[in-house]
Amino acid sequence: MSGDMIKTLEGHAARCRRNVLRMVEAGGAGHMGGAMSCIDVVTALYFSVMNIDPANPKMSGRDRFILSAGHKCMAQYAVLAERGFFDKKVLDTYGSLHTKIPGHPDMHKLPGVEANTGALGHGLSIGLGMALGLKLDQSPARVFVVMGDGELAEGSNWEAVAAAAHHKADNLTVIVDYNGLQIGGKTADIMSFEPVRARFEAFGWAGADIDGNSMPDVVDALGRLPFEKGKPSVIVAHTVKAKGLSFAENKAAYHYWKPGADELEQAIRELDAQIEEAGA
Amino acid sequence: MSEIIKKDPRKEFGAAVFAAAQKNPDIVAISADSGGSSGFGDFKAAYPERYFEFGIMEQCAVGAASGLATTGKIPVFCAIAPFVTVHSLEMLRNDLGYMRQNVKIVGRNGGITYSDLGSTHHSLEDFAITRMIPDMLVLAPQDPTEIKNAVQAMIDHKGPVYMRIGNEPIPCFLPDEPFKIGKGSVLREGRDVAIIATGTQTGSVLDAVGALTAKGIDPMVIGMATISPIDVDIIRHAAGVTGKIVTVEEHYIPGGLGSAVSEVCAEFCPVPIKMLGIPKSYASVGPYGELMAYYGLDAAGIAASVTAFAGK
Repeated sequence: MSGDMIKTLEGHAARCRRNVLRMVEAGGAGHMGGAMSCIDVVTALYFSVMNIDPANPKMSGRDRFILSAGHKCMAQYAVLAERGFFDKKVLDTYGSLHTKIPGHPDMHKLPGVEANTGALGHGLSIGLGMALGLKLDQSPARVFVVMGDGELAEGSNWEAVAAAAHHKADNLTVIVDYNGLQIGGKTADIMSFEPVRARFEAFGWAGADIDGNSMPDVVDALGRLPFEKGKPSVIVAHTVKAKGLSFAENKAAYHYWKPGADELEQAIRELDAQIEEAGA
Repeated sequence: MSEIIKKDPRKEFGAAVFAAAQKNPDIVAISADSGGSSGFGDFKAAYPERYFEFGIMEQCAVGAASGLATTGKIPVFCAIAPFVTVHSLEMLRNDLGYMRQNVKIVGRNGGITYSDLGSTHHSLEDFAITRMIPDMLVLAPQDPTEIKNAVQAMIDHKGPVYMRIGNEPIPCFLPDEPFKIGKGSVLREGRDVAIIATGTQTGSVLDAVGALTAKGIDPMVIGMATISPIDVDIIRHAAGVTGKIVTVEEHYIPGGLGSAVSEVCAEFCPVPIKMLGIPKSYASVGPYGELMAYYGLDAAGIAASVTAFAGK
């Protein structure tokens, strides 16, 4: 991919981060940290990797995206809005009565959402079922599941990791948003799943470790899928929690963020500068 | 009912799914190392590509069934009842109910049909928990013929379904006709008391009728093969005609059919109700027939309870 195209994607990601702030501003609070860490991956998927059509969100043969770590939903909403799945004015309803963008995604409320997630440890099994159904139909469509690193502690995930390898679901890719922090502190202290990629590989997956906040890295990895024919793929995306906000980066306290006016103002300033810098 | 033929409910279920699958290529079978006991042998042999084995991982199997359904498939997942309900409850609620996916979950060996295996293998709260999942149908067909017809109805219905079947051979006593979701049926008219039963217990209730009439009690018998949504009209009819209701189920007394009937009566038609089932405790073990008799759920026990409640 050319440098210009990378720059364009980085501009999209910056605007998507700004969309997250727009939701936080509307709702007063939200799961910001994880949304910001995974948003480069989600942006790359929707803007350059997945076969989707915002005008026809149920298009036959489309690629599927599942945000298993549903609390990072502001990232998905931000990207869906930026990609044109719905009017950006919807972002201003975050936190309001009967909003279409609740605190965890609901496929029946919003176009582009493929699964209802929020309880952790569900998305991968659902994604596997999608992958198997698509294979049965001999569809070329692929399934992408973004998981949190803290989420790896849910045992149901490892059922699905085993089953995906057993069924040779090479149309299935997991991206672990490995920001190293969960609500109570460092993932390594709370429940370590190191070495993450090796564990997936031991179950029969093919994997790669990347810098998940580096657009060239992200695009390169997503462009090489499947890493091995006949195996599901895992991308361990090393990311920074609350990426893009200098005062919040890599701090577990920003898992859920209820900003004061000063912090919000600073966040807006910083992201507006990033959008300008991206020049897109 | 002494001359009535008995059939294995699991075989009837498996044959019905296979028959439906021959006509509908979207039907896929899900197994959790349980396909053979679930009657899926013919399905697996004929359609190996539509048969998905998940090993002993019921939670993943339910989630994957949801994902398969999003691609237009109609997954039928059958395994031991507590493992597809209690063990996988959050997946039932979120991945099937909340996502409103067209998946059919079948709990076999429901109730205490695994009588000797103990409480880990008993399923006495499945009606209670599945009927709390919005949009999920809860079915408990009552005889082999109705199992066949209920399978077709659950596949034709677009949305999540939980169906419970047993294990022990059960008598054929119902007509071969299309299964009506959400509708009970009056199997015997009567004026003194209405006995509303579901699943395996309906046959036992019919067996108890002779003993009741011998005591001068004229019971109405209602078969209620749909637990949710419950048939409000037939309950109001029964309450209006008889003024007394007995519910009978192979389930904990609270939470299941009896509770569903009581909720209707409390709102629309208050009448005295006697709920028969298994007390909310970890059930004992032993041969199935003896255990059912111990809990008063054989014909003699049902007749005795109904007589004590409604006798003149």
